[in-house]
Amino acid sequence: MAIECLVLGAGQEVGKSCVVVTIGGKRVMFDCGMHMGYHDHRHYPDFARALAAWGAPDFTTAISCVVITHFHLDHIGALPYFTEICGYHGPIYMTYPTKALAPFMLEDYRKVTMDQRGEEEQYSYEDILRCMKKVIPMDLKQTIQVDKDLVIRAYYAGHVIGAAMIYAKVGDAAMVYTGDYNMTPDRHLGAAQIDHLKLDLLITESTYAKTIRDSKHAREREFLKAVHKCVSGGGKVLIPTFALGRAQELCMLLDDYWERMDLKVPIYFSAGLTIQANVYYKMLIGWTSQKIKDSHAVHNPFDFKHVCHFERSFINNPGPCVLFATPGMISGGFSLEAFKKWAPSEKNLITLPGYCVSGTIGHKLMCGKPTRIDYKDIHIDVRCQIHQLAFSPHTDSKGIMDLTEFLSPKHVILVHGEKPQMAFLKERIESELGMPCYYPGNNESVSIPTTQNLKMSATERFITSCAVEQGKRSLHKRNLICGTGLSEVIGSDEEAAEGILLMEKHKSPKILCEDELLEVLGMEQHLVQFEPMVSRIVADVESELQRAKAADLDSDGK
Amino acid sequence: MGDPHLLSSAHPNAAASASARKHPGPIDERLAASDPSPSSAKRPRVAAEPPASGGCVPNVEADVRALVSMAGGIYPLARAEALRGLTAVLENVDPSSRASVGITECCYKCAVELMRDDDNGVRLAVVRLVGACARNFSARLNFDANGYGDLMDMIFLQLSSMARDMCTQVRMEAFTALGKMQRVSEGVLLQSLSKKVIKTDSMNVSIINGQKLPPKLKIPCAAGIFSHGIEDEFYQVRTTACKSLGALAKFSNQYAEKALDLLMDMMNDDTEAVRLQTLEALFHMATYGCLTVQEKHMHMFLGLLVDATAVIRDAARKILGLVNMPKLQIFKSAVDGLITSLEKYPEEQDIYGILFSIGKNHGSFSANIAKYLAKEIAMASDGELILDKPRVKALLIVSISAPFSDDKHKKLNIPSIIFSHAIPLLEKFSCALGGEINQDSLLSYLCQKGGMPFWENRSISAEFGESESCNVETVEIGAHIENTAKATKCLDEVLVMQSVKSILEIVEGAWTMRMTCNVCEVRTILRTCKEELRLLAENSSGSIGAFLSFLSEYVDAMLFIVEIWQLIQLDNPYTFGLTSLDILLEKLDMSVRRMEYCYVRLNRVLEVQVLELSLIAHLFRLSKIAVCSKVVLGKLLSVINRLEDLCADGSCELSDFSREIKKAFDTNPTGDNLIGSINNLFQLFRLKPTTDFGMLKVISAVLRVCDNDSENPLQYICGLPVGISFKISLWNVSSHHRLWLRMTIGESMQHTFLDFSCFGGNDEVKSSSMVVPLYATPKACSFVLRVCLVMECPSAGISTHQGGDGGPSDSVVQLSDELDVYFVSAVQR
Repeated sequence: MAIECLVLGAGQEVGKSCVVVTIGGKRVMFDCGMHMGYHDHRHYPDFARALAAWGAPDFTTAISCVVITHFHLDHIGALPYFTEICGYHGPIYMTYPTKALAPFMLEDYRKVTMDQRGEEEQYSYEDILRCMKKVIPMDLKQTIQVDKDLVIRAYYAGHVIGAAMIYAKVGDAAMVYTGDYNMTPDRHLGAAQIDHLKLDLLITESTYAKTIRDSKHAREREFLKAVHKCVSGGGKVLIPTFALGRAQELCMLLDDYWERMDLKVPIYFSAGLTIQANVYYKMLIGWTSQKIKDSHAVHNPFDFKHVCHFERSFINNPGPCVLFATPGMISGGFSLEAFKKWAPSEKNLITLPGYCVSGTIGHKLMCGKPTRIDYKDIHIDVRCQIHQLAFSPHTDSKGIMDLTEFLSPKHVILVHGEKPQMAFLKERIESELGMPCYYPGNNESVSIPTTQNLKMSATERFITSCAVEQGKRSLHKRNLICGTGLSEVIGSDEEAAEGILLMEKHKSPKILCEDELLEVLGMEQHLVQFEPMVSRIVADVESELQRAKAADLDSDGK
Repeated sequence: MGDPHLLSSAHPNAAASASARKHPGPIDERLAASDPSPSSAKRPRVAAEPPASGGCVPNVEADVRALVSMAGGIYPLARAEALRGLTAVLENVDPSSRASVGITECCYKCAVELMRDDDNGVRLAVVRLVGACARNFSARLNFDANGYGDLMDMIFLQLSSMARDMCTQVRMEAFTALGKMQRVSEGVLLQSLSKKVIKTDSMNVSIINGQKLPPKLKIPCAAGIFSHGIEDEFYQVRTTACKSLGALAKFSNQYAEKALDLLMDMMNDDTEAVRLQTLEALFHMATYGCLTVQEKHMHMFLGLLVDATAVIRDAARKILGLVNMPKLQIFKSAVDGLITSLEKYPEEQDIYGILFSIGKNHGSFSANIAKYLAKEIAMASDGELILDKPRVKALLIVSISAPFSDDKHKKLNIPSIIFSHAIPLLEKFSCALGGEINQDSLLSYLCQKGGMPFWENRSISAEFGESESCNVETVEIGAHIENTAKATKCLDEVLVMQSVKSILEIVEGAWTMRMTCNVCEVRTILRTCKEELRLLAENSSGSIGAFLSFLSEYVDAMLFIVEIWQLIQLDNPYTFGLTSLDILLEKLDMSVRRMEYCYVRLNRVLEVQVLELSLIAHLFRLSKIAVCSKVVLGKLLSVINRLEDLCADGSCELSDFSREIKKAFDTNPTGDNLIGSINNLFQLFRLKPTTDFGMLKVISAVLRVCDNDSENPLQYICGLPVGISFKISLWNVSSHHRLWLRMTIGESMQHTFLDFSCFGGNDEVKSSSMVVPLYATPKACSFVLRVCLVMECPSAGISTHQGGDGGPSDSVVQLSDELDVYFVSAVQR
């Protein structure tokens, strides 16, 4: 038996995460994302090709279930397309928060692409709703029996609210798909947490395959210092973020700092989406960090004190302010609008998220500080300060190594990362942890052998004889200890017991004692005896033979 | 395991030679334990090892063996329990014994095998066991240092890898264990702070070549373990990580420097408990002297000084009072920060103390400040520089602290103007010095330094004038400054004795001036001395503590004598009723009695001193009643006899005073002439305090009542007996002492004899909890019972019987403080 892992997306790249794993004959699709950097056929994973390769009539029969790890578009963006346009009708699993927040993300993106890019609408709002209706929510550590053989379970992954790592098991073959995760907690989310599991395969993200990040305290301090400096100089701070997750994290940080420093500068959320999301966050306390869980009864940390009501026209207001705008990589939407307005002033500050997909303005800003940006016929003079946020909800290289070491799987597959870094990490995993590691590209597949456990019974006699043996040995050792004191004898208790493994057709395998064998097989004992042939005897025999021969010759002669 | 030379040394001859030696060292110990013949003379000694180790060593081995095999079982709870059992065994094994090596190594091996167990409980137990192994190994290091260093590093790495566990408890336990590690090499320590793997060739060689490391245990697993720890989601883990981070700082300066960076970042933590723990860790580092503040940390410290939480401010200040500040700039900003804090929270007066200690720790910097301040004062015209301003006050305190600084080799020139301006801040100044020096002496010091004619106005007698008195006081201050410089609770014995000597000199001096000089002044001096002795006694223990409390008692008695003498001379002795003289006499008696009976193993010199005091006390009684009371005369006689007895072998001489009294007695047994010549006799009395105290012990007691205070009174029913449960601890009480529990309600008194049979403990400390009935409860809604422990003083034959209430038949001394027990009637209408 083997695990077949087909990477439909996020192979040697970041975006449109989609991995289909065939495990014990069951096909499970992990994540179904879209790529934000492309607007052509590369936008979605190549489902049709996969279907052709599988040779199945439709997706519903080909795939046992779809599991979505979290609500980021590069993990869920293609889901409505897959269900409503490609026609998958099987079960879809995601955690409660993901189910609650995913429609907002999808709808927001749909609107953005429709308004800003005039792109051909791939799915409608109704599609999203219909798709979400098919979703079966799951809870952390809840074991779900998808069908007779397939079992899945979600573990806390940090990253964003509701993010999960998925454990899947068919028979003895087990694997974990991490999705995106974070091994260090932040202001509002905890660190990823998983049990010790016996795994054949671990599919892990590797966004920061090479980076080792320093302490988050230092990052927080730098961010606050930059923002404070900017607003005290009368500048405006634009914080392009995803609506969910980073926005809340940074806002908690700022709100706390505003409180401590007694600042009066307004903080705005550009989109109603973020505000709506906050409502959900307030309800999803169970999925946040320990600190919030402990303290929310006294004060819900998502009730931001310093956040003010915002209208689009405020973008032209004078005076300092802090604005959270979507989308995170300034790929369009309101963050682009604000960027166009504010970038030309050197008083202002733009903070960039930790990671930007190539092709977005964010990415251009990240790769050295340009003075002029051309974006779809628009020219923007960039004079503002740029602060790169080192905040990232992704784990770093150390975290990946730590998780891999903790889980100790037999094989590791890296996805969701960039090729050179993945190659580096692969080396490290193979050399330091001694696990075979792969990083297939898109539409490549990797086959991994699995171990198969065989259940076998043992006869009573065999067990008794083993126990007797052990008893004798320990008695022997006891004498030894009395004689010489405690030394090497302790700890080497394990010694092999001898027996016969009997495997017959249509019967479960059995271990027996040697003398039981005949009885079980119902056969008679045959003895073959060997006699040692010593040279003297050989000589005797030979001379005898010769004599006999001579006698024969004699008789012949007569 | 696999220490070949251990096995090879198990040679009969070696064992025999080892047993022949009187005091086998650790090596011999090992040989002895590996003696193959159980019937040798060694047997009883092995068996007589601490009973906690579960009897003789073979039993421990059997335990270990059983537990190790159970630890390999299939049930996780059983595995965990077996590991806990091993931990318990390790804790009870004497790490210096030879058996402990084998056992510890065996446990360690077992723990390492289970380190990756699937069950959280097992991993938790593993961490504890590894921690216990590390402790035993490091204890072992004290005996033979061969090759355990690498092992310690290895254990550190293993614990580090456990500190990244998914289970919160395991992480906490791992960090706790890391904090307790000893002798970890610097490279490993530094690696534990940085997530990036530090590549040092030497380190790799020593660790990877030295030990056969399993493939998973290379140095990267320790990488940045503390950076992870302080970012943990659970504040409990962060707290323990902080604690361990600070605890390890004493091993390496380089580490301490880097750890400080991490700890400073922790000050932004959102949980107050973590911030407090961080401050505690910093404090810990500061007390070990491995905390050097750099400029980049200053703004964080200054922020802490004005933190909204008082506890944090307080902790931050305490740390600041201890740290080294390498630059004047940092020093100044620290002082400025404290001044800001003072302006914001003027009620926090202990800031002055911190300012003083900062100044004291950085003498040359504060001298610098003093220089500028002096200029500022000189420049300011009248009224401009207001001393009330916190800034000026603070700067003055800093400036004045410079002469107290440790770097005495530098001559620090503090302008005298500073001293004279500091006089109004006398109170704060003395507070800053810990309240141990009385203000008068400080004042005189400041005046002297400030060049002010102060003592001339005050001093009365010419021969005991300014210079001498000032000398005495400065000596005193000097002694104290040395003490405060130590700034530790446990004062050095030598230092204590030095100050005791100087104090006793003062006492003697004061005594000589009792006739010539104002009694008030003598009294003040004595009182101060007594106070100082009491303070010293509080910080000392053992014999020296007992001696100090004895001395303070002695000075107390001197004080009474001086006061009584004054009264006898001034007052009309023929007054009726209870006068202050009566009270003083009674107090003196008590004091003498306490000295006589509450100290065990008084040496001869001290006993003579006490007896002479007792003579004086009796003399006073005689003069008070002006009639020769038979009882008093009898006592006097017995004291003289005892004195003669003590001096009979010529080891010490009978003083003039005693000899004169004896002479008077001999000539006239009725003692009439004693009263007449009392004045002369008193003149003869000389103080000869000694500093030789031998093995002095003080008898003392602590009495407590369980669950009782004014808010939470005991209930009783009027007229019926009520039981009160006491917790009693006694020190140095032996079986021949007769102790009573005295319970007083208003006028009525009940004595209950203490039976030592129900006390547990040894000769030194006995303790017990007992229920004592109070028989006659008053008919009242509520009352307060006053309870104390008293000890009977067996006066030789002369009984002052106190009446037939079944109480002590002799006079008593009070051993414990008086305790209030609150009662309320159970039936309240």
